[in-house]
Amino acid sequence: MGRLFDDLDDLWTDPALPGEEEPRVLVAVMNDPRALEIARSASWYRIPVRRAPPRVAADYLAFYQTGAFGSEERWAINYYAPIRRYHIVRRRDLLPEEANHPRANDEYYKIEISPLESLPHPIPSRRLRRITFIPTTLRRLLNAEEINDLWLSDRVKAELWDSLKAQGIPAERQVNLREEDETYHMDFVIYCQNGRLAILCEGDDFGLPIVKETSAITDYELTAAGWTVLHLEPDQMSDRPQEALTHIHQVIQELGGLVD
Amino acid sequence: MRFGFAVQVLGRPGLKSHDSRRWQNEPHLSVSLAYLRDILGYLRRQNIRMYRLSAELAPYVTHPDMPRFHGQIDECTVELNSVGQMARGDGLRLSFHAPMTAVLNTPDETTAAKTAAELNALARLLDGLKQGPEAVIVLHIGGVYGDRHAACHHFVERYHALPPATRRRLALEHDDNRFSVGDIAWIHDQTGIPLVYDHLHHRCYNPEKLSTVKALRLCLRSWPDGVRPKVHFSSPSTAMHVIQQRHPITDARMRLLHPPQPTEHADFIHPFEFIAFLRTAREAALPDFDVMLEVRAKDLALLRLRQNLTGFAPALGEDFLDLSQV
Repeated sequence: MGRLFDDLDDLWTDPALPGEEEPRVLVAVMNDPRALEIARSASWYRIPVRRAPPRVAADYLAFYQTGAFGSEERWAINYYAPIRRYHIVRRRDLLPEEANHPRANDEYYKIEISPLESLPHPIPSRRLRRITFIPTTLRRLLNAEEINDLWLSDRVKAELWDSLKAQGIPAERQVNLREEDETYHMDFVIYCQNGRLAILCEGDDFGLPIVKETSAITDYELTAAGWTVLHLEPDQMSDRPQEALTHIHQVIQELGGLVD
Repeated sequence: MRFGFAVQVLGRPGLKSHDSRRWQNEPHLSVSLAYLRDILGYLRRQNIRMYRLSAELAPYVTHPDMPRFHGQIDECTVELNSVGQMARGDGLRLSFHAPMTAVLNTPDETTAAKTAAELNALARLLDGLKQGPEAVIVLHIGGVYGDRHAACHHFVERYHALPPATRRRLALEHDDNRFSVGDIAWIHDQTGIPLVYDHLHHRCYNPEKLSTVKALRLCLRSWPDGVRPKVHFSSPSTAMHVIQQRHPITDARMRLLHPPQPTEHADFIHPFEFIAFLRTAREAALPDFDVMLEVRAKDLALLRLRQNLTGFAPALGEDFLDLSQV
């Protein structure tokens, strides 16, 4: 795991950082209507301990519902609930009627929640993409128009996202690329007629600032996987944002324009 | 040698140290442990192997008027074990610092009972996490109450009245204006309690005129065989305080400039002061110890100190420290 600490100096300056006390939300994937029924009637949700995300703790749990749900609710976040307790239990104790399940002895986080609440408006995923867990804040959850609005990021990435949205460029944020045992994070991807554009913002990290925790992927690896790579330096977006956007437009045109 | 920091993580915003909800929202140790699990993952990725837990990990667990919170530790046996196993696997040294309200030598019996209950709960948490003897609860002597010698005696009496399971978790730290290294050394002689040397406190309050090496050696020797001692290190703040006020008569805005107190902790560690401290310890051939950095910039100060040591004292890294591991 790569670690770089060369941007510690930026710590104190970014007003976009959420406050320490801002309520945190963990968006989890709900791919089984029975699990939603359990959340609704028995007030708990389960995550396998072995596959839990780096951040499992939060004040609220929200659910991204997959294609397993009907057309009214699928591919969107519709519900959330305050978290009450976390307990570690074996699957056979959580679901005694499935005592012979192959993972009956596996440990799960049983996250006890308060009654589900409906969001003011559903948060759809505009493009069908693989979604796992998204750590975010309650403010973002209540104000998001689509999934990509949920990602926490530093000011530079937030401004780029706002600019792309304002110009109608359908980018996807925080797309993961798995290569053998490593998962790499691309800050933005844009799907074009003749290729895929990966935008990597330098000088910062996936999620939030200061301390980098993810491995750096090389251009070679991305290019080999069929991506066109564009690196943006922090000062490009903060000092010369129009130049950066023009550059993005140019690459999109070189790749045949946006996918309809 | 391991470096650690206290409680709050700044390097990754949103990593809370405990469930800080008020009692009306029913906070719980299980939620704190989920937050702690996330913090431990961060510490693992940063190779940080020492961490001070929040003393509020189990919210309201000893509150005399809220018995519904008293069973939290028993309710979280599995979760404590899980997080503790993670810490042990990473070679992470955990500790507590007793809250400021915990005053063992107080003349007030109610406060003393409350303090004992708090210390017992913290000890039970470390036991629940299945931590070894190096996981301690650091506390101060308390108040002077007009007679420093009597205050020390009172501490010893109350210490002996604590359950053995709590006593074996305690370590005693001197402070910056009431009780010196000499005072805690006297208490160690009466009780055997291990002593935590605090460099800034010693610089601020040293009536016995003990050299750094003498004071440090005295504290390091107080730890049981096989248990690595820990010390506290912080640099004094040199930052100006700027206070915005309105003039009481004219109501004009004005800025007051206040110098810092020498006892105030700086945001980061002064690298040259720290390097000199380590060199002093090394030249005196003192036993190995861990260092808890008491700094306002928390984990960021630790990471910065690593950078500074690599840049300014690479020889220390080669001869004395594994800079990727401290």
